[in-house]
Amino acid sequence: MSLLRREEWQHFVRDVDWAFSYVDDEAVYPEWHSGTGKVPREAWLKWEEDYKVTYPEYVATQREKESAAYAVKAALQRSSSFDTLDEGWKSSTKMHFGGIALVEYAAMLGELKMARFGLNGAWRNMATFGQLDELRHSQITTFFGHEFVGKDPQYDWTQKTFHTNCWVPISLRNLFDGMMIAPNVVDLAIELPFTFETGFTNLQFVALSADALQSGDVNFANMISSIQTDEARHSQQGGPTLEILVEHDPVRAQWVIEKSFWGSARAFAALTGPAMDYYTPLEHRKQSYREFMEEWIIDQYIRTIQDYGLKKPWFWDEFMRGLDTWHHALHMGLWFWRPTIWWRPKAGVSKDEREWLREKYPNWEGVYGDKWDVIIDNINANNVEATLPETLPWLCNMCHLPACNPTQSRDGSWRVRDWSLKYDGKTHHFCTNACRQIWWKDRDNVNHETVIDRFLAGQIQPMDVSGILGYMGLTPDVMGDDPDYAAWTKDYVGRSATGLALAPAESEES
Amino acid sequence: MTDNSTAERDLQDQPPQLVPLNAIFATDFVQILVPVTTANTVREVAAAVAHHVEGKRVRALPHEKVVFHRGRRLPPEMTVAEAGIEPHDHVRVEYDLPKGTK
Repeated sequence: MSLLRREEWQHFVRDVDWAFSYVDDEAVYPEWHSGTGKVPREAWLKWEEDYKVTYPEYVATQREKESAAYAVKAALQRSSSFDTLDEGWKSSTKMHFGGIALVEYAAMLGELKMARFGLNGAWRNMATFGQLDELRHSQITTFFGHEFVGKDPQYDWTQKTFHTNCWVPISLRNLFDGMMIAPNVVDLAIELPFTFETGFTNLQFVALSADALQSGDVNFANMISSIQTDEARHSQQGGPTLEILVEHDPVRAQWVIEKSFWGSARAFAALTGPAMDYYTPLEHRKQSYREFMEEWIIDQYIRTIQDYGLKKPWFWDEFMRGLDTWHHALHMGLWFWRPTIWWRPKAGVSKDEREWLREKYPNWEGVYGDKWDVIIDNINANNVEATLPETLPWLCNMCHLPACNPTQSRDGSWRVRDWSLKYDGKTHHFCTNACRQIWWKDRDNVNHETVIDRFLAGQIQPMDVSGILGYMGLTPDVMGDDPDYAAWTKDYVGRSATGLALAPAESEES
Repeated sequence: MTDNSTAERDLQDQPPQLVPLNAIFATDFVQILVPVTTANTVREVAAAVAHHVEGKRVRALPHEKVVFHRGRRLPPEMTVAEAGIEPHDHVRVEYDLPKGTK
């Protein structure tokens, strides 16, 4: 007997559903998990994925992908390619391993939630494949990072990051708990597969893969390309869900997209922006972060949401202006507070690198050059101590990233503004107008305490830099430092410098 | 008058309280946490904020520093308590540049 062809049987099984006789539909698909809201229950019958897949096909394809990724890894393990990689590039990978490995695990929980509470059988099937994907991503990322632990203890943060109270994973936990763990499945499908995976992971997985290949890191490029092929499939859960939600409740659809777009944009500015514009060696950069954002997010994603009949988010102008500032300021923050991170951030502001930054970002010199010059002059005056932190940056109550986004005044100068509001007897501070507005609207949802909140509540002891580093889990063998100060300061040796902080010895003399 | 002077006396009798501030120094790139007390003067607040930034990320200038709080320029001798600066408030510290200086 020959097997039936897929087309002959799949339509019978792909959206199998049950008519419950002993319990109500509400008991099986409770509103707080399934989240149908204003959408009539029967409207979900129309849910249909564009790209259909069966379990045998899924297993065969995944097996092939896994074999290929691990074969390349095994071959490269015997070579010395890792040892020749630039420290800046290695930092990009440490950031990625630590920042992503367990987020993939959280995404698996999100997929499982859709696999259980999704309002159509086809959706639940797709989510079942999606959870298998995310489990694979968590495993492959952890395994690939683990290989390097023996060579460099910072890679231990591949697995450790999300088990610490470092401010970076707290910020990411806040974002992803709001996107993957807390929401009902309708919101989840729009936040995770539609906004984050369709819109943003392209940036990390496609663009960073190109930089990886340029930098000679074939293993990393191979790993993230393998992951991205899964994303392309399971991210399609977003489209059909959005289509149905827009038809019945466009206001909710617009809000869910806006909130998750903004949160994703802030996180990518912190993680992908510095990796592309500072850590990747100059000769290996394909495009600037802004150029990647324009190509992959602005054109593509906006066209997509407009196709669904939605509007550009209300914060669009603020977001676009931020493409020239957010990641530069966050890079400076990551560098200045380098003992609080698990990679070695290279400053990347030699004369050649600055010329590239000026070409890509015409305002860069006027907004950031003066501050880097003071830092450079301190290092060249052997006063590295003046470039190390003695307090915390103020962290935004919404995105948990440092409040460091300047805007231009009418007189042309660039200043960081205070975006605050008083609520429940406390003053909250935000990095941007949109973070403030989203927090206000979403204030009863997940809101982790920032490290500033924890510090001021006395949760961090002793209340000094050593207490903060201990609380964050940073030990001397892993805390970040610049990998090569001379690489970006030697161009400026010998120039006259005024207005510097005195080195401790000098201040004792004076 | 009696009420005011009683309130002032009460203020002076209290031990200094910690006032953590959200602060920014001139053209610096980030807001920072700076702890002061209710007994600190505005001049001391300016110095406490400047300590983390001046000559470290913003080049030091030979000018006095001034503190702005809720849009108001505060007199240097006033204390934090007298100025009504509360925990978590935002303050901006600027150089008092002579007119015409950029």
